[in-house]
Amino acid sequence: MTAWVERLENPLSARLRDPATTGYAGVLLGVLAAFLAIPPIQSRTITWPIVVGIVGVAFGIWTVTRGRTRLGWGAVASAVIGIGLGILATHSGTSNLNAVFDAALIAQTFGFATPLVFGAIGGMFSERSGVVNIGLEGMMLMGAFWGVYGADKGGSWVVGILVGMAVGAAIALVYAFFAIHLRADQIVGGTAVNFLALGITGYFFFQLYHGNYIPSGVSQIPNVKIPGISGSHFLGPAIGDLNLMIWAGFALVVVSYLVVFKTPIGLRIRACGEHPRAADTVGINVYAVRYGCVVLSGILAALGGVYLSDGFGGGTFINNMTDGRGFIALAALIFGNWRPAGAFAAALLFGFSSAVALRLQVYSPSASTLFNVLPYVLTLIAVAGVIGRTVPPAADGRPYKKQ
Amino acid sequence: MNDEIVLEMRGIRKEFPGVLANDDVSLDVRRGEVHALLGENGAGKSTLMNILYGLYKPDAGEVLLRGRPSSFASARDAINAGIGMVHQHFMLIPVMTVAENIVLGIEPHHGLFLDEHGAEQRVRELSERFGLAVDPGALVSEITVGQEQRVEILKALYRNADILVLDEPTAVLTPQEAHELFGIINSLKTDGKSIIFISHKLNEVLEIADRITVLRRGKVIETVDAAGATEASLARAMVGREVLLRVEKAPAQPGDVLLSVEDLRVVDDRGIEKVRGVSFEVRAGEIVGVAGVDGNGQSELIDAIAGLRKTESGSVSIGGRKVTAASAREMLDAGLGHIPEDRQRRGLVLEFSIAENIELHDYARAPVARWGWLFPKKMIALARRLIREFDVRGGGPLTRAGGLSGGNQQKVVAAREIARDPKVLIAAQPTRGLDVGAIEYLHRRLVEERDKGRALLLISLELDEILSLADRILVVYEGEIVGEHTGEVSEEQIGLEMLGGKEKAAA
Amino acid sequence: MSTIDPNSSAPESPEEAASSGTLIASIALKQRAGGIAVPAVTVVVAFLMGGLVVLATGHNPLLAYRDIFDGAGLNWIFHPTTNLVNTAAYNLSQTLLQTTTLILCGLAVAFAFRCGMFNIGGQGQYFVGLFVANWLGVDFAGLNPFLHVLLCIVAGTLAGALWAGIAGFLKATVGAHEVISTIMLNWIAIWVGSWLFGAGGPLQSSANKSLPVSNDIANSAKLPVIWGQQELQGLSIGIFVALAALVVFWVLLNRTTLGYEVRAVGFNPEAAAYGGINVKKNLIRAMAISGAFAGLAGTIDMTGYLYHYGQSDIPFSSVGFLGIAVALLGRNTAVGTGLGALLFGALLFGTTHGLTSNVIQPELAGNLTYIIQGLVVLFIGADVLILYVWNTRKKLRPRRARA
Repeated sequence: MTAWVERLENPLSARLRDPATTGYAGVLLGVLAAFLAIPPIQSRTITWPIVVGIVGVAFGIWTVTRGRTRLGWGAVASAVIGIGLGILATHSGTSNLNAVFDAALIAQTFGFATPLVFGAIGGMFSERSGVVNIGLEGMMLMGAFWGVYGADKGGSWVVGILVGMAVGAAIALVYAFFAIHLRADQIVGGTAVNFLALGITGYFFFQLYHGNYIPSGVSQIPNVKIPGISGSHFLGPAIGDLNLMIWAGFALVVVSYLVVFKTPIGLRIRACGEHPRAADTVGINVYAVRYGCVVLSGILAALGGVYLSDGFGGGTFINNMTDGRGFIALAALIFGNWRPAGAFAAALLFGFSSAVALRLQVYSPSASTLFNVLPYVLTLIAVAGVIGRTVPPAADGRPYKKQ
Repeated sequence: MNDEIVLEMRGIRKEFPGVLANDDVSLDVRRGEVHALLGENGAGKSTLMNILYGLYKPDAGEVLLRGRPSSFASARDAINAGIGMVHQHFMLIPVMTVAENIVLGIEPHHGLFLDEHGAEQRVRELSERFGLAVDPGALVSEITVGQEQRVEILKALYRNADILVLDEPTAVLTPQEAHELFGIINSLKTDGKSIIFISHKLNEVLEIADRITVLRRGKVIETVDAAGATEASLARAMVGREVLLRVEKAPAQPGDVLLSVEDLRVVDDRGIEKVRGVSFEVRAGEIVGVAGVDGNGQSELIDAIAGLRKTESGSVSIGGRKVTAASAREMLDAGLGHIPEDRQRRGLVLEFSIAENIELHDYARAPVARWGWLFPKKMIALARRLIREFDVRGGGPLTRAGGLSGGNQQKVVAAREIARDPKVLIAAQPTRGLDVGAIEYLHRRLVEERDKGRALLLISLELDEILSLADRILVVYEGEIVGEHTGEVSEEQIGLEMLGGKEKAAA
Repeated sequence: MSTIDPNSSAPESPEEAASSGTLIASIALKQRAGGIAVPAVTVVVAFLMGGLVVLATGHNPLLAYRDIFDGAGLNWIFHPTTNLVNTAAYNLSQTLLQTTTLILCGLAVAFAFRCGMFNIGGQGQYFVGLFVANWLGVDFAGLNPFLHVLLCIVAGTLAGALWAGIAGFLKATVGAHEVISTIMLNWIAIWVGSWLFGAGGPLQSSANKSLPVSNDIANSAKLPVIWGQQELQGLSIGIFVALAALVVFWVLLNRTTLGYEVRAVGFNPEAAAYGGINVKKNLIRAMAISGAFAGLAGTIDMTGYLYHYGQSDIPFSSVGFLGIAVALLGRNTAVGTGLGALLFGALLFGTTHGLTSNVIQPELAGNLTYIIQGLVVLFIGADVLILYVWNTRKKLRPRRARA
């Protein structure tokens, strides 16, 4: 990826001749092909999506022959998927399409994406410091249950958030101890966290709420109504009434970028993740940094869970509420190449996919399944190195031993 | 250089399980002096410096910095006290810039944010002051090894180090870069810095040091002024006996050409051409030794011949058959034996038993296996025979290879390769890390195999070993063969060629 | 040439330096040091901690464990009988049914571990085998029973092998980490299954279009039952298949050249390559065989007692994940996996369907299984702790050192 950045400094002509440009253009054309068929453009004939898609395929093949094989095949894949989706869309009725693709879909996308954003950014901190965190799912689940429990017993959603953060920190601390101090295998440890979370939340959900449901009326995280916009036809349903946590998620992306790439502490975190011994020899306390980052990842993932139950979910909890979202968050992190902006974009994409899947459930279960599966398929393609290389921090996953 | 003592280490003792690394070691360093620590592998030099740098705690003894007793609990303490260490394996982060690497841990900042511009500015100032040319904005992954070393030195200077410890600094440098380094060391000296120069290379130490302390097996043997010392006197102190330069062997009787390499070109993992058109032959009944400084393409050359690395162009023939671009398995089948340079990483599966390791190449063949089915009893019987023949100590056929000593592990590897009756045997660093007894055994054995008519290719970083064993010596420099010698040849001549040939080597 | 190795360090203990760093090597190291004592201690500690949770929530742990013991039918050993009207006998037969599945799922994880890979995808591979068995079991009614069963078993096993093989292929060709790919494949399998059995899905019941459940497989596809009756979910010959699989596992690893290669690659891929072993081929092979075990588990379950499957069954199946605990507890050996499967099989059935208790409800006990499972996996990953405690105790007592 660095070489691409360097090329940005070159004159425009060099950039245009660079195969990477055509590669990325091909990917975008694939997206465009699908986009043409849905509202608001809603092309009714199949011609345009196919034409655009074919151009995308062509760009992809050009890129492959110019040496950027993986990016090229990624463009081909994107264009083919785009054509497929376009065909699907043009075959369904306009009223259906309008029902599925409306402005409120944007709000729902943000809603689905926010737990992923929190999870992915949390995971980013942990992995940037060198500790793999497969347990995001478990940490999110703990936050989901104990957050809504706190909101219920504490009477306010603020208490819920605090409780969720505390619980996330606690279970992350346990994981950190095993992974950092005892140098246990981190994937095994993360898997254990997921089992534990499932068991603990299920157990106490039944123990504390005997009938297995949380009474209605629990204080929920409020929405933020933007004055003036809520009346607008498009922007109103789209962003005029989003939950507080969604806005917090946006802020989180910006803040985390600044912290990791623009502050001294961020430099040290990255050093611990790339070359812990080098960091140690200049006096950085690698253990402390890693502990801090893992605990932070727990807090953030749990916050995503609190939003899931006490915001998005309407103040309720069901067993295994996260249902894999923690893993999608991990996927978003990987897809986004361990960078905040990338993870955010991936989370939005996956959130969009889940939102569309939910809406399509009524019209076409098979299409719905397709969109549910899409985040996982995309991540598989990403780790296959098709869209550039996914490069984790060099020392990610290896326990560090101080002499 | 004056007589003020800036650092003194008194009576240092450090023990690890099974080995006494430092035994009552005392050392003093004056201001503005270059003090060399000379010793073989395992003499205790690195341990001593790690204690100084706060990475280890001594069992006994004390460290006095400018007359005051100090003890460092961590590298941070040592840095704050003005001690800077440049390790053998650089502690640099490839994906970060030079400036970021240097300021890591004491970053200049505007409030909460990094002051990147300020960092680059300060690095530029420092590098100009000491003549260490390097681009602060460059990524470490894209600079040369010599430049990386300069970054390491800058790291120490940025933290106001008074005392610099350089651990085998020329091991990874080209001769030009080593020359530049010596210039830098001299300019640091005039600035009043003290340098501790760890090395096992006699000629360098004599060139650059003011005083030399020789360590052998954890003890200080002597501390002398460089002016009065000679290579011979230092060598004697280092090794403790007259260095035996020759092993007993009859003259070679070379027969047919068994290994032929023609115009071979090989590229390393970073895409840099490391073997640049190498051609040579090895005949039956001779030992050809390849001499050279580490990093001049030897590893890539062996990998290519052994089938572990792709060749860009050129050819390799074994016993007359062209086997270029063959896989490792095909090479083995064609009659190649290979004792790899890192026995624990490549030569052995440490979790496997001796018997299983002995069969690492032939586990799928009769009599040990048929149609995919293994016969462990046959494996064990074969192993038992080889253990006896090669005098492997420390266990039987079912003993885990990881439980053996280094020398015995190497014997297992050698046994396996030789037992396959190869036409050509490649030995890469065969005696690295071994004790004297094991070294003598292996040397004798290699000569025996030569006399049985095998063609031996020996690659070693120890010039002594090459001079002692090889019938013909090829000198490799920057991927090319720059010299070929048969019969008597002086160390100086070979050393000269290893360092590039045209330059006069250090006197 | 770079001399920068982010993962280099000053000398560690000779044992650690010698074990070449792979997870399986470190497990082997600890196995040699601890023998069977360490897994046993791990289990005891996990049960103790589980018991504390039970105690803290107002139930009597000893009685609870006794009831779980009875629920698993383990009290059968006190009054053995083959009469299935006897509750203990029935419970035992059901526990053995679970054990069958867990042996196979455990072997799946264990085999991959032996080749140095972590197969978290057992659940997905299990499902794939199950779906295929259902499809073929329904569609080829009237076939000769022996052939029909054989067809289902072979196809289901191959399906599992293929599913895992994708992850192996990605690892061998582009170096994609198998943990990530298998996690993604898990979720893809789950969603696809949900669609298959959902309303309108291809495998959904033709008889009752409103239920998201599949058809029953034909009688010719059902496995013969050895203890009990088909209608009452008797124990099928699947248990023998599972036991045979244990033997096959051991033989494969220790008496074949394939096993030799797999183990070599697992312990030290570099040395294996130097020895002429094709590392990539073995990565794919090991994952495929691993997936085959899991796919076989799904097939055996479908043809052995499930006979049909529903959309709502999918979220409740956790055997693939339990297989991880089973394999880790059993140290990836045949005997260990067998014993571990029995333990977790007993836990699984004893805490849910078999439980009749005033002391603790099934919903709580079921989650207790997850907690214990999580603790076992957590501690396995950190044997260092247990070994350390164990070794300190040995040092305190003057005893003859072990050879």
